[in-house]
Amino acid sequence: MTELAIDIRGISKRYADHVAVRDLSLAVPRGAVYGLLGPNGAGKTTTIRMILNIIGPDTGSIHLLGRPNTDGAVLDKLGYLPEERGLYKKMTVRDVLRFLAELKGVDRRTADLRINEWLERLSLKSAEKDWGKSKVEELSRGMQQKAQFIGTLLHDPELVILDEPFSGLDPINAQALKDTVVELKRRGKTVIFSTHLMDNAERLCDSVCIIARGEKVLDGTVASVKAENAGRTVALSLDGSATPEVMAVLNDRTLVERVDDQSRFFEVELAAGADSQTLLRRVLETGARINRFERVQPSLHQIFLQRVGAKGVEEGMSGHG
Amino acid sequence: MGKLLAVIRREYIERVRNKWFVIVTVFGPVFFAVVMILPAYLSVRGMRDAKVADLRVVDATGTGLGARVAQRVAEPRRGASARALVDTMLAAPVKLIRVDTVSTEGLAAAESTLVLDVMANRLSGYLILDSATVRSGNARYAGRNASSVGENEQLENSVRAALLGLRLETAGVTATAADSITRLRVNVDAERITDTGKGGSGLGGAIFGFVIAFTLYIAIILYGQQILRGVLEEKTTRVAEVILASVKPDILLAGKVIGVGAVGLTQFGIWIASAVFFWSERTRLIGAIAGPAAAAAGAAPTGFAFPTIEPFTIVALLLFFLLGYTFYAALFAAVGAMVGTQEEASQAVQPVMMMLVFSIIFVQPVMTNPTGRLAEVMSLIPFSAPIIMPMRMTATPVPMLTVAASLAGVALAAVAAIWFAARIYRVGLLMYGKRPTLRELLRWVRQS
Repeated sequence: MTELAIDIRGISKRYADHVAVRDLSLAVPRGAVYGLLGPNGAGKTTTIRMILNIIGPDTGSIHLLGRPNTDGAVLDKLGYLPEERGLYKKMTVRDVLRFLAELKGVDRRTADLRINEWLERLSLKSAEKDWGKSKVEELSRGMQQKAQFIGTLLHDPELVILDEPFSGLDPINAQALKDTVVELKRRGKTVIFSTHLMDNAERLCDSVCIIARGEKVLDGTVASVKAENAGRTVALSLDGSATPEVMAVLNDRTLVERVDDQSRFFEVELAAGADSQTLLRRVLETGARINRFERVQPSLHQIFLQRVGAKGVEEGMSGHG
Repeated sequence: MGKLLAVIRREYIERVRNKWFVIVTVFGPVFFAVVMILPAYLSVRGMRDAKVADLRVVDATGTGLGARVAQRVAEPRRGASARALVDTMLAAPVKLIRVDTVSTEGLAAAESTLVLDVMANRLSGYLILDSATVRSGNARYAGRNASSVGENEQLENSVRAALLGLRLETAGVTATAADSITRLRVNVDAERITDTGKGGSGLGGAIFGFVIAFTLYIAIILYGQQILRGVLEEKTTRVAEVILASVKPDILLAGKVIGVGAVGLTQFGIWIASAVFFWSERTRLIGAIAGPAAAAAGAAPTGFAFPTIEPFTIVALLLFFLLGYTFYAALFAAVGAMVGTQEEASQAVQPVMMMLVFSIIFVQPVMTNPTGRLAEVMSLIPFSAPIIMPMRMTATPVPMLTVAASLAGVALAAVAAIWFAARIYRVGLLMYGKRPTLRELLRWVRQS
């Protein structure tokens, strides 16, 4: 048995007018929580669809849990939560879930047992109300998402693939999702999820891969990614708002490559060849009072902006979620 | 294949559970019961309630002509024309007719009483027979339904027959001979001859053929549309993506076509079974509802016989239905996969509907001339064959080889449609946004 849950080698997918994925290789170890990061249109969903064999790559190979992903049996060990959620609206929740389980080869009786378990666990079933008997369309959006999440996990998959799982979740459901991901990891399952919310990725993931414009920008464990990109970032915190003089220093391109301005807190990326001591002295010379000046490891968010380039990143994707 | 079964079961159960399915399916047997049992039941009710006759015959001839006319009017009409069949199916209540025999002088007084009766709705009309009737055949009818031509025609025939009998007897012909002469009726029965011998009436075959053609047409449209809607629903609710992560699109497509087809077979099975049941049990059922007299009336010969259908024909019919359905179902599914909204669907479905409509508009000409060139061609074109050939087969004997060739054509077309649809389906199901152009469609077919 191989140690890799996902072993992707050199896959490409070309559509008529553009290349969605270009020569992408990924290695996701078993038992890892793996983040697939990238702006919209980077090729995350296309990659995930290729992993699930919903679409075939033009070139390259994909192995899951040691078997080619064209092997039908291996697909039964996968759980998939698509970005665009959807269930049959006219069916009852229980019927839909049973159907989804059957499609993964779970027999009806086992499915029914697990459905009850999950419904109770995600508080869709209690003494007074059993939402399992309701039609999907009668559920609130949050409850539908929970139901869909149950459908993803009913067959106790070895490998769980979540495409933008946090989008549209309220804080409570988001927390429930995080808890479940942690528990899956504890039970030795592999979880791979795509997101553009870097904070979530940073907290949950063991390893990440950043892709942009269909190509891999970097990948590795979160720690190694941070270490590789460390040393050029300074956390600067001021007592009071930044004066124009401070801003002038921070906008000096010979000294500062990029600054993430949060009014009193700045994440500063030093320009090539610039010295952090020079920056400290220049800021002090403006008369500003400094609370904190620290060379730090960059956040994933910083790395993401730095490596992908803020240009290609659309509005709303800056990662504070 | 457990997954295929799961898909089929979902398609089937969800549709059969739907309340509209239940309503429509139950309505069928009720409809058959009404059509087959009610007329006979009503006619008997009519007989019982007919103590007050709605037609009065006033006989001022002094020759007993009135009694003869009354007898003729009361006789049910017979014949093998479609008209007679419909008349029997919707049989007007048999009337008991009272005859008032009056003298020529008393006629005016009697008539004024009858006018009052008609005005008071105690009678619907009266027929006056006098010396002029005996002399020149002129009788007079007055009543609320004086404009009803059908009634007049029946009255004229009855008077003519009664008068003819009277004159024959006056001329010295015996009563029995006169009776049989006046009852002479000319009737051309059209009977089908097939390869294996005689089988049923030509009329029965024609009606049966029409029923088959329209049933297939309606079934294909009904269930084809259901498939289209089903595919579209999966696409718009995005549930397709979850399903496709578990099963191949071909399995999903196959499961949908089979599942919906099974729903159709269930529905038509219930309808056909109930129709056959009510038809074969109508005597007993009417008896149970209205007593033995009614049973006898209900079982009276109708001049309509179901055509004898050979096993070969039944098998061929079933195959035409299944293959024709598969052909169109695949195309409907492809349409569902290539569009994004109901509005787009109703446009994109038009080429498919055109093929169906093109087939159905030729039903009438083919029926009129089932051996003609048009019938031959239409029953061999794969997309019209499933509708035209079954109808033609019931109307006229078709060589087994021709039927087989036609079936093979439909089968090939069905395979091609599935191949085409599966490709469109695979790509289209995950494509959102604008409707593809024809060129893009062709690329979908090529690339997958």
